[in-house]
Amino acid sequence: MGLVVSSYSVKMHLKAPEHQVAGHIAKDGKPGPLVDDKGRFFKPLQGDSRGEIEVKFYESFSSNTEIPDHIRRYFPVYHGTQAVEGSDGAAMIVLENLLSQYSKPSVMDVKMGSRTWYPEASEEYIQKCLRKDARSTTVSSGFRISGFEVYDHKELSFWKPDRKLLNGIKVDGVRLALRKFVSSNTLSDTSSKPDSAFASSVYGGSNGVLTQLLELKTWFENQTFYHFNSCSILIIYENESIHDDGARAQVKLVDFAHVHDGNGVIDHNFLGGLCSFINFVRDILQSSDESTDN
Amino acid sequence: MLKVPEHQVAGHIAKDGKLGPLVDDRGRFYKPLQGDARGENEAKFYESFSSNKNVPDHIRGYFPVYHGVQLAEASDGSGKLPHMVLEDVVSGYVKPSVMDVKIGSRTWYPDVSEEYFNKCIKKDSATTTVYLGFRVSGLKIFDCQESRFWRPDKRVVLAYKVDGARMALRKFVSSNPSADSVPDCAYASEVYGGSNGILEKLLELKAWFETQTLYHFNSCSILMVYENESGGDDERRAQVKLVDFAHVLDGNGVIDHNFFGGLCSFIKFIQDILESSDNRCENGH
Repeated sequence: MGLVVSSYSVKMHLKAPEHQVAGHIAKDGKPGPLVDDKGRFFKPLQGDSRGEIEVKFYESFSSNTEIPDHIRRYFPVYHGTQAVEGSDGAAMIVLENLLSQYSKPSVMDVKMGSRTWYPEASEEYIQKCLRKDARSTTVSSGFRISGFEVYDHKELSFWKPDRKLLNGIKVDGVRLALRKFVSSNTLSDTSSKPDSAFASSVYGGSNGVLTQLLELKTWFENQTFYHFNSCSILIIYENESIHDDGARAQVKLVDFAHVHDGNGVIDHNFLGGLCSFINFVRDILQSSDESTDN
Repeated sequence: MLKVPEHQVAGHIAKDGKLGPLVDDRGRFYKPLQGDARGENEAKFYESFSSNKNVPDHIRGYFPVYHGVQLAEASDGSGKLPHMVLEDVVSGYVKPSVMDVKIGSRTWYPDVSEEYFNKCIKKDSATTTVYLGFRVSGLKIFDCQESRFWRPDKRVVLAYKVDGARMALRKFVSSNPSADSVPDCAYASEVYGGSNGILEKLLELKAWFETQTLYHFNSCSILMVYENESGGDDERRAQVKLVDFAHVLDGNGVIDHNFFGGLCSFIKFIQDILESSDNRCENGH
């Protein structure tokens, strides 16, 4: 299924993204995100104020001269908004397609923060968030795994855990998921232990996930520009030729529909959650290093 | 002989026949074990902490020394009650300025009763807890110009918003805290700054909180103290102590991200005041 749209006499071949792990999908006549063949991601502007807030954030962020370059790389490149015909003429946010440079990407979406609500939100929204935060690992651990998809090197196919199962996991389930995410062995088999074969190529190393998260953490200890309420960290790595070419792991912040001004206060909610997540990743890296030493 | 502490700024006060902590003349603080689980939980924490080999020595200094539980005459006249015997953090100071800051963007925690949760979240939202990740619980500052202590009403303190919290932290290191005029931050570099100042101590605590998974310090406070009496050594002897462990739980392999986030936010406020005190606090509240 695809959409061919004429825009400035250039045909854009738009289709649904392949590896979406969390967030809105095209359903019930409502538009979902689309990708083209030029490395761009089209996100429908959500109703109420959320789409507006996300655009406002991207506009502010892209022109904010105080964002250091090494931090800018953790955010999707913004290409403005565009009306896309065939989707009710609805305006869409045009972003960099984070997966376009990957051939077989494993992807994980982790919602950061020990609360997803914020003071400026409506009472109804706060209640909804409180319930979800308490049921998940958000309150206890400072983050929750929203979704993930990982390539199984034995089955030669992608595996995704059941969404309902993921929603009910506790701290041990999070650890297991983070191990499965970097494993090569059969993932649907619940009896075999994940081998964490790619833990050091994905999480470790001078360009690995842990190093990137630590760089982000340093920025969050001081930045008072934005409060990244309900934002996710996306972790992506390449499975194609991982043994020869490495994992090319990338960390990106996504989903800015609830971002508010920092007003001179650091984003302590995101920072606390990020620090907790870093510890989980570090623990897995260390225990996988120990087992390879044996 | 036990008496009511002079410099207590937050928590239950042993006054007018109420049950509260007492101090002796040997630097000890007697905290009554109340009937509910909280006193028990606090004593349990102190027992665990004092014998926990995984706590580094330099971190141990940020906690009051624990001397076990003893029977003592309760302040409300109800007879001999078990009391936790702790180091009196402010003994040894002649004219201490004291501030109690509750750290964390929430004071509730998983599995509390609905009633307690509602009480906490209401207070957290009404104060700076949710927004800043900490709130000022109490303060008593020596006004060097008036030569007396300034202690704002508890209700005023709990009504502080962001500006109020910032102003309180500026007044804490000023010679004119009781005045309506802009706090002069005259002592900012001596008290907050320097190699023995409060900022350095907070940064040391922060480093521990980045990885410690032993305890979750729900609803705990940081107490800041320094000397105003001009002695021969001119030392401010600024101190940072963690206090109030009635709601501490096991960490269970997860860091105390709630405390950590709030602590980082608090550190940023102190850093900002230190930086701007070089230019004086002249830009208003």
